[in-house]
Amino acid sequence: MTASKIISDSPVRPTEADTELLASAQAAALATRDLYQAAVAAGATGDHTATFVSLAAHHDAYAQAISSLIGRAAPQARDDELFSANKSDFESDATTAALAAHTLENSLVAAHTEMIGALEGTEGAALIASMVLIEDLFLVTPEAAQADAQTTTPVA
Amino acid sequence: MSNSNREELQAFSKIVKATQGADFGPALQSSLSRRRFFIAGGATISFGALLAACGGTTDTGIARIGDSPEKTELVDAPVTDIALLRTATSLEHNAIFVYETVAAAGLLSGDAATLAARFLSDHKAHAEATASLTEKLGGKAYNEPNPRLQSIYIEPALRLITGDDASGIPVTEDPIADVLALAYALETIAGSTYQVYVPMLADASLRSAAIGIGEQEARHAAVIGSLLNPSRLVSTFGLSIAAEYQEETDVPAAAYAVPSAFGTKAPVPVVLGAPDESGIRTSLNLETPSLNSMVYEYVDGE
Repeated sequence: MTASKIISDSPVRPTEADTELLASAQAAALATRDLYQAAVAAGATGDHTATFVSLAAHHDAYAQAISSLIGRAAPQARDDELFSANKSDFESDATTAALAAHTLENSLVAAHTEMIGALEGTEGAALIASMVLIEDLFLVTPEAAQADAQTTTPVA
Repeated sequence: MSNSNREELQAFSKIVKATQGADFGPALQSSLSRRRFFIAGGATISFGALLAACGGTTDTGIARIGDSPEKTELVDAPVTDIALLRTATSLEHNAIFVYETVAAAGLLSGDAATLAARFLSDHKAHAEATASLTEKLGGKAYNEPNPRLQSIYIEPALRLITGDDASGIPVTEDPIADVLALAYALETIAGSTYQVYVPMLADASLRSAAIGIGEQEARHAAVIGSLLNPSRLVSTFGLSIAAEYQEETDVPAAAYAVPSAFGTKAPVPVVLGAPDESGIRTSLNLETPSLNSMVYEYVDGE
């Protein structure tokens, strides 16, 4: 076998259209981070504080990674609409916060999966792929398991 | 200076004195006379000709001794979308093989068996989906387990769990835990493979489909991780020290439902089998298919 060749001729760096998509992904990641932090601050998560702190850190890491990819085009600000729409649920009791987290992560997974098909540059697609694979795992945390019992969304 | 050193120095001085003024020219001329030189040269050429006559008859124009095998042209193996999809299908068949073997051996029971049956069904659906995509692109679907991964990971791992009399491998002490650990590693690697393939796929529309399947593999891994390590589902490794939550224990876990912030491309270690006389169990490192594990278009199934 000769040294294998990768056939793809897609651009590597994010295109202009990619940058716009990735900027919105960063705003969503920062809003999600703030929501988890708000839940922890409100003491709503009970025994699952560690999970929420970790997930907040993970979303912060996503925002930083997107920033490193698109540089000055990164908004560095959360999506206020997303934050406001979910804040009260995240600050509520453990079950309500869990349900809200589950719904939010599920919608992020759906949005990011679709985004991967829309991104032209391979670096952006690779980054979102590495994020969405872990966001999927958030759906099987105990909070999600609790939420699943009350929703019809399949986990596996 | 010690006596022994003094004696050595004296012996060396005697040799130097004995060879001072000596002329070795005549002796050398005598041993390498013109006649002897021609005899030695002739023998060397004859021996070389004999060896050359024993070899092939192809004249390369370059003087050589001995035979060289015919050069085999290497196969051109581009990483096309078809090759990536065929490899993905083969990986699904590796997982199908594991779950079917485990079910046939009756190694799991209760919820774990139910879960494994569900995962088996998912992998069959994934295999059908990737095979169908391969054919839509004009390729030939590969409906067999990946041969290289089967021989270096799957078969050795299953032998460690079920035992192998011929190789002197005993049955593992805790088959359920070992099967779950192997399944966790396998599902993680399956998810990582689709993640790795996203930027490699030339057709951008295939990327969403690929990661959609990878997401399901990742969820499988997370569910198994929650069974293996129910007390701590999310790894806090790598959190900044300013994080509000601090680890309560330093004991590393075998698996986490959420092991990291980003999908890993690193090997997944899995410890399996009965301990040896030193109490050490075998560790396998499962990795995503590398370039020499891919099912290129020229590879045929059985």
